Amino acid sequence: MSLDGRVGIVLVSHSAALAEGAAELATQVSGGTVAVVAAGGTDDGRLGTSAAKVTRAVKLANGGAGVLIVPDLGSAVLTVRALLCEPGDLPTQVVIADAPFVEGVVAATVTAAGGGDIKAVLAAAEEARHARKL
Amino acid sequence: MPASYEEAITLAGDLHARPAGALAVAAARFSSAVSLSVGTSHADAKSVLGVMGLGATCGQHVTVTAEGPDAQDAVAAIIAILAEATRVGA
Repeated sequence: MSLDGRVGIVLVSHSAALAEGAAELATQVSGGTVAVVAAGGTDDGRLGTSAAKVTRAVKLANGGAGVLIVPDLGSAVLTVRALLCEPGDLPTQVVIADAPFVEGVVAATVTAAGGGDIKAVLAAAEEARHARKL
Repeated sequence: MPASYEEAITLAGDLHARPAGALAVAAARFSSAVSLSVGTSHADAKSVLGVMGLGATCGQHVTVTAEGPDAQDAVAAIIAILAEATRVGA
């Protein structure tokens, strides 16, 4: 799953289907050259978030250039922030994006596919907040 | 030596999400600044959301402009993607 040299992307959503769908969309739009890993739902398949799932996803997405985590709402943000407070189990530089979920993931993944570093990928995700659709 | 280069194309199909992604990934390979214009709207070609936000559709005239050391190659690459991707309607 991990692709050496490119920033990896982890999607943290309350819903496994939402995380997987957004990951599929970002992968297709970016051409499939970036590790985009979904971490949605609880360990027993309910709506919610799981620190263990996020940790596994970061390990899968890690290609040595850092991993950007994009959370959807509320406790997804809290779960990721708690994890980042104790980054001992995480294998690489991990940052959290304050960004709209779908747009942020798509913008970040395309920037990673273009060879952007973790700083550029984070900026792309956060700039998505200002993107107009009409 | 920095240069400016520009070329236009009439779209044979709508500019969907996947070609917008391919375009932004390709534009990122160049050090030149690359922009797209459709009517009065402009977008940074390296921003996938910006490119999608143009809402460019079949029959519209898109101008690709680049400024920088590899401007001509950048414009050629982006024009090629616009021609191919909108043709197959990806």
